[in-house]
Amino acid sequence: MTEINSDYTNYGIYDITDSIDLSFPNTEIKFRNIGTNVFSYFRRDSEDNTIEKMIPTKNNKIRIEVAPIRPINHPSHRTSYIYLELETPIFLSENSQAKIFARCPIEIGIFLIDGENKNSLDFFTCDPINSRFGLYGTPESGTLCKYAKSEIVESYDDSKPYINATMEINFGNELSRGQSISKIIFPVTENSIYYDDSKAIYDSIDAVLKKKLTIETLDISSRNISTDWTKSPDYERKELVKRLNMGVD
Amino acid sequence: MVFEFFQGLDQIEITSGLTLLSLLIGGIIMGFGVIIARTVKLLFTKYYAPKLSQDSAKNLGKLLYFGIIVISFLVFTSTTGVDLSGLLVAGGIFGVVIGFATQSVVSNLISGIFLMVEKPVKQGDSVDLPGLGISGTLLDISTFSARVRQFDGTITRIPNESFFTTNIRSLSSTPVRRSEAIVGIAYKEDIDGAISVMGKAIRKEMPYALILPKPDFRINELADSSVNIEVLVWHPREDWDQVSPKLLKVLKNALDEAGIEIPFPQRVVWKAND
Repeated sequence: MTEINSDYTNYGIYDITDSIDLSFPNTEIKFRNIGTNVFSYFRRDSEDNTIEKMIPTKNNKIRIEVAPIRPINHPSHRTSYIYLELETPIFLSENSQAKIFARCPIEIGIFLIDGENKNSLDFFTCDPINSRFGLYGTPESGTLCKYAKSEIVESYDDSKPYINATMEINFGNELSRGQSISKIIFPVTENSIYYDDSKAIYDSIDAVLKKKLTIETLDISSRNISTDWTKSPDYERKELVKRLNMGVD
Repeated sequence: MVFEFFQGLDQIEITSGLTLLSLLIGGIIMGFGVIIARTVKLLFTKYYAPKLSQDSAKNLGKLLYFGIIVISFLVFTSTTGVDLSGLLVAGGIFGVVIGFATQSVVSNLISGIFLMVEKPVKQGDSVDLPGLGISGTLLDISTFSARVRQFDGTITRIPNESFFTTNIRSLSSTPVRRSEAIVGIAYKEDIDGAISVMGKAIRKEMPYALILPKPDFRINELADSSVNIEVLVWHPREDWDQVSPKLLKVLKNALDEAGIEIPFPQRVVWKAND
């Protein structure tokens, strides 16, 4: 896993009039003022992939926001679901509840601010090798998800900067027997991300084991949190995402 | 004045029972029918079609349009008192002749209707028709034919009868697809080591390869010169081109870097006096 040092650029809003270098794990970004009312944007990642864009502006400055975004854009947007496999499964005895904090991956977005509008200029991941897809269910009728192994941590402060964010998960068991939970699949577009310096947190989710008619399911729903941290821009295409009925292992 | 004009028209008989006035009224009915059909189709296209799949919307639009036209024609014939029975007798004989001549056209029409009802694939799906040697994206299924844009960019028109009766392999009806490759390693090499090397290379260099289900490695054959390993990799259905054509390259490079031999075909020749 990438070592995180304190020299990396914090999330936040930056006003650029001349040039600026932004540094992230495995990734470097350069903004340059290359002429009257024209800036250039350059990004290089750990695999030497580069992206270059020209940014014409109304005046000789630009304002950008660097923010954590949902991990569903790299390498391409294929799904809105996240498959979190808990590194340590949770065992819930009957009629019990538990609250944990788990890490959930993020990507980083660069937004160009124009008045009230925040337009996505670029996005990338600092952990490309772990930005992979997984399938929940069978190949015929399963659900494609972004897959991540998730560590359970102690508090909201335990996110790995630029790599993941912390999420509160409230478990409940309404079944008449104890049950282990090792994975959670949910549409991440229902969860907002909030940031502070280099740390990030997600809206929380509730995961309740229930019996629906004769089928035991893990019912997952999102819940907004109230926090002083800054909310990341929501820029993904709004699409109707079906709530998934997760079976119990 | 106008009344007298219409009375005059009513007295001009074209054939028995069909006057110029009734023909004019029939024309007006047909005209209204066409206007109503077009208006209904327009309203349907604007308000209801977006909620349906593209091909259903197109076919339902046609059905509404021609349905109203046919009803208008029936109203026209009933109001004018045109007797079509003679035409039907003549049409019956003519129909037999036409029927023989156009049986393939009718066959395509019927197949098209069945395709629209059964919907084995829908507009925009990637399909493979092994019997016809055609693979590509289905553009549409119309009354007599279907059009497929092949992966080389060309568009092929397939008569509905052929499309309906051939095997259709849908490449986009499941969320994921699988690509396969077979790699041979030398007999002296460690099979588990080679599998580990290939697994790591897929994980590192193929962002579209699924982690779950994980890539599968099967010993395919103890061949003449090599142990053949079949590599099965799942990927999102849209990303076949990001995985399948690159898989062998990734595997070969990984085995080369690890110093694992991919042998040439070898043959040991024994002389009789040895």
